[in-house]
Amino acid sequence: MSSTSQLIQDAPVDKRGTSIVGRGNKEGNRLFREWYGELTSAPERKEHSAYVFVMGSLAEILRSFDIHTIFPEINGLQQAVRHVADDYIGQAEDYGFSADVCGYVKADVGLQLRGGDHPMGKIPPPSLAVYTNACNTYVKWAEIWERMYHVPTFTMDIPGSRAAGRLTWPGHVDFENDRKYVAGQINELIKLCEQVTGRRFDIDKLRETMAHTNTMSRKWKRLIELNKSTPAVYNAVTDGTVFLGMMNGYRGRPEGAKYFTDLVEEMEYKAANGIGTPFEEKYRLAFVGVPCYPIFRRFSEMFTEWGGSFVGSSYLWFASGGANLGYEYDLEHPLESLAEGLLVTVRDSMDSMFYSDKNLIEMIEPYGIDGIVYHPIKSCRTVSTGLADNRRAVMEATDVATLFVESDHMDKRVVSEAQLKNRVDAFFEGLATRRQRLTSTGAPTGRA
Amino acid sequence: MTYAAGVDVGSTQTKAVIIDEDLQIVGRALVSTGSNVTVAAETAYEMALQQGNIHEEEEGVGFIVGTGYGRYKVTFGDAQTTEISCHGRGAVHMFPGTRTVVDMGGQDTKAIKVSPTGEILDFFMNDKCAAGTGRFLGAAAMALDLPLDQLGPTALLSSRPVKITTTCTVFADGEILSLIGKGKKVEDVLLGVHHSVVSRSIGLLSRVGIEREVTFTGGVACNVGMVSVLNQELGFEVNVSDDSHYMGAVGAALFAMDRIVAGRSPARRTEVRV
Amino acid sequence: MPSVLDDYQSMSVEEAIGMCRDLVEDPDFPTVQRWRDAGGKVVGHFQVYFPEEIVHAAGMLPLKVRGAPVEARQGESHFGSYLCSILKTSLELALSGRVVLDMFVSHPICDSARNLAAVFGRNFEYPCEILYLPQNANSAHASTYLRGEYARLTREVEAVAGRSITPELLRNSMGVFNENRRLLRELYEIKRETPWLLSVDKAYCLMAVGGMIPREEHNQLLAWAIPQIRKGSGTPQDRMRLVFTGGFCEQPPLDLLHTIAQFSYVVDDDLLVGLRWILDDIPVGDDPLADLAEAYLENSSYSPVQHDLRKPKEQMLLEQIKDAKAGAAIITAAKMCEPGLDEVVAYTKALDDEGIPYFVSEFEERMTNFDSLQIQLETFIENLLFA
Repeated sequence: MSSTSQLIQDAPVDKRGTSIVGRGNKEGNRLFREWYGELTSAPERKEHSAYVFVMGSLAEILRSFDIHTIFPEINGLQQAVRHVADDYIGQAEDYGFSADVCGYVKADVGLQLRGGDHPMGKIPPPSLAVYTNACNTYVKWAEIWERMYHVPTFTMDIPGSRAAGRLTWPGHVDFENDRKYVAGQINELIKLCEQVTGRRFDIDKLRETMAHTNTMSRKWKRLIELNKSTPAVYNAVTDGTVFLGMMNGYRGRPEGAKYFTDLVEEMEYKAANGIGTPFEEKYRLAFVGVPCYPIFRRFSEMFTEWGGSFVGSSYLWFASGGANLGYEYDLEHPLESLAEGLLVTVRDSMDSMFYSDKNLIEMIEPYGIDGIVYHPIKSCRTVSTGLADNRRAVMEATDVATLFVESDHMDKRVVSEAQLKNRVDAFFEGLATRRQRLTSTGAPTGRA
Repeated sequence: MTYAAGVDVGSTQTKAVIIDEDLQIVGRALVSTGSNVTVAAETAYEMALQQGNIHEEEEGVGFIVGTGYGRYKVTFGDAQTTEISCHGRGAVHMFPGTRTVVDMGGQDTKAIKVSPTGEILDFFMNDKCAAGTGRFLGAAAMALDLPLDQLGPTALLSSRPVKITTTCTVFADGEILSLIGKGKKVEDVLLGVHHSVVSRSIGLLSRVGIEREVTFTGGVACNVGMVSVLNQELGFEVNVSDDSHYMGAVGAALFAMDRIVAGRSPARRTEVRV
Repeated sequence: MPSVLDDYQSMSVEEAIGMCRDLVEDPDFPTVQRWRDAGGKVVGHFQVYFPEEIVHAAGMLPLKVRGAPVEARQGESHFGSYLCSILKTSLELALSGRVVLDMFVSHPICDSARNLAAVFGRNFEYPCEILYLPQNANSAHASTYLRGEYARLTREVEAVAGRSITPELLRNSMGVFNENRRLLRELYEIKRETPWLLSVDKAYCLMAVGGMIPREEHNQLLAWAIPQIRKGSGTPQDRMRLVFTGGFCEQPPLDLLHTIAQFSYVVDDDLLVGLRWILDDIPVGDDPLADLAEAYLENSSYSPVQHDLRKPKEQMLLEQIKDAKAGAAIITAAKMCEPGLDEVVAYTKALDDEGIPYFVSEFEERMTNFDSLQIQLETFIENLLFA
């Protein structure tokens, strides 16, 4: 038996006898299904649900009112990986939506037209919708629900960075102007939640949810750092999607805090013992954008077949709502701290989409990056519009290899497996030639 | 003498090239791909062998690389390499000063940035849409009922290209016929079509950065009109080989010879039936 | 500063409108060049709305960056697929050196455009930044926030201009722009009440030129032209009255507007609505920035890229159709314009409910062939007239 298999076999087990290695994915999948079960049965228990989004879900406030958080983005993702998105999208297009607008929105419109019938369960209609402006489509999306359900929609407006590298911090007049605005809106959101639920706001409950988020953020930051290990301890795209589901679905919840505590324990163990992903790691890659969900497994295989391992992804930055910062709320002053935290983290999500060139350049050395894969998608202009220019800037500043492949995260019609494979193969042929050249000249190739 | 072979299976045509240890082309063949890709590959390969008077039993092809969209169907091949890598390699071999390659085939156009050793530094492909590819020219040929090989010479009779506004190949024939109907001369319209295709290609090239020398490969490089307009728009002359059609197969054959030289040729070849 | 316009006062009003048309379609922006040659600085601002008064008060020229009918050879290579044209052509204007800026500002109107400041920032040395207009127009705190954001913008603009923007200067500029919007309202009133005197494409030329010349000159031009237009000799024809929507960001080609004007009266529209965003004079008091901020939120038009619960888009469109006494609507969106395309659904459903006929289409700023569109539109109008 190989030493790695031995290490896995000898890995510690927890109270339930589950081996620590692989626990994160197992538990993640189980908890994810449980969560959808809760959502499906919420109406029976007369519980409220809010439609929210990954870039600033306001879960802490909503959960303090026991309002469920439903993520149409995650619903859409599930529709795509389970190969049923086309039907929902088709229905939305028949309803009048253009082929050229976001696939997530259309998959959701189709879902709503079907009364919430979804492969993971039955998605309840919203009691309200809460969204930030981190994505403009969130706003148009909420306008659809306004018209369909006549429910309150709340825009939590978070002013983002005004220019690359020009962040302001507490104490600066501009930061304070932004913070005051966010703080004022938080109060307005709390009042709205009181109206919708008929309950008084409970600041101690808010502290509890914020405490759980603190744990999750701390662990999330550590999780991202752990992939500096060689070999990488998880696949930032495939495993990353499981982690993102948990980060968003269980944000502010004790189960979420426990999950990420356990997950980091697992990854620390793997890192300490040189246990990587099931695939051979020949090339360490960064992924920029949103994954190709319609052919999720095949897309990943196109890379792993060549020994390509995704050690990092900008997706883990922006789709976690900026949790990668590891920002922790000050529980002594929850409302003020929530305003500051939202501003800092949601701003960071936006920066991870628009100004990520610097971050990508900075991760090359510590993560041993051999190549960066840019994956702009038709549906999401927020993430995708700047990627071609971003890539130019990165190529000018470094000599890291890059690949630019376009497809979609929902619409199979613009995903061409053959074309993707052709480009991916050419990319790896280039990486192989480059490595050969570098080794023959005696130049360092990074971690081999 | 050991030989190496490259077989490029395109959507419409399959090309095979045999090279010797001096990297000279000794045999080449081109057949229509048709519906059976493997048969097309085998046929092209056999024809190239015959053309070069190479008999497998006596001398032997030591390694075969398949490329093109049908590369995995070259079942008698020893390895597959993408046509991107092959066109880059082939172009640098033919024209050592090459730093940028524009390959225009039947249904896609590629812009490839290469190093002096033929390493692929960057690439962009236009395969979403047929405008800017050979297909657009093909649509024009059909609309005007002209054989493909007459497109270039006819276009060059004009000095006043008509601006073609349609960006979609599907609607191209409609616009072309409408222009002819309005009394525009065939050569002027055709030159306009060539300009339209070149314009989009230059847009694609800009994505990888246009660095001299630029080598034009693929079947469309045989079109003198395209070469002329491309030279005009770039402001300098592009390299065009007589073997531009075979560039992918040439590159594949060169990769095959690399493997032979590196000592990794397979022990025995599978018999290929003609 | 010397005048950037040719001496139009010696022209007929038709010729002057032709001059404006040439300027609007000229991708070299000669008026901006003349301003620069005279030593002036230019601040480019993207769609939709921008508080131009602040830049004007600093003595710089606010230039409405709204794409151009040019081939974006360099611009294209900075973007991927599935995007609207205006992004690429706007970048092209700057990359090609046709338009040289001292600063570029955009507001996150949509997911594509919000990337523009970052793209500009990576390609140019001058400040390229985002102005965060409030997206939560219904928050009680939005106005205060915006005043603070305008104060920030003022500081940035002052740094570029190298001079200070006093409240007095700002009040003066607000006066100029109040006058400008008043004149534009007059122009639109003529188009609405007596459309045979002023077609949509001609009105467009007279309006759009304002985005690229000093506003004082624009005011003079409009003040000179409007009385002459009122005295024009056109006679009313039996044409359909239409409202055109979808021109809030990427602009339809003038030829397209001209084509539509051949067989209909476009009596109202949202073309370059950013220049006409504030609906009435802004009362100017002690705190002009606060007045500006208040006006943006309380006294403004509507568009698919501003979310305000008080202004549901389809309600606003229906009111606009009613006020303009229009019989139908042309609902358009620029190709790949996500907010525009999204809004088409809400608009068409509302118009269906009200029984108001409409024609839906897409356009692209660089299109030159309208045959197909023209046939469809004419057929639509014929059907209406026969009904």
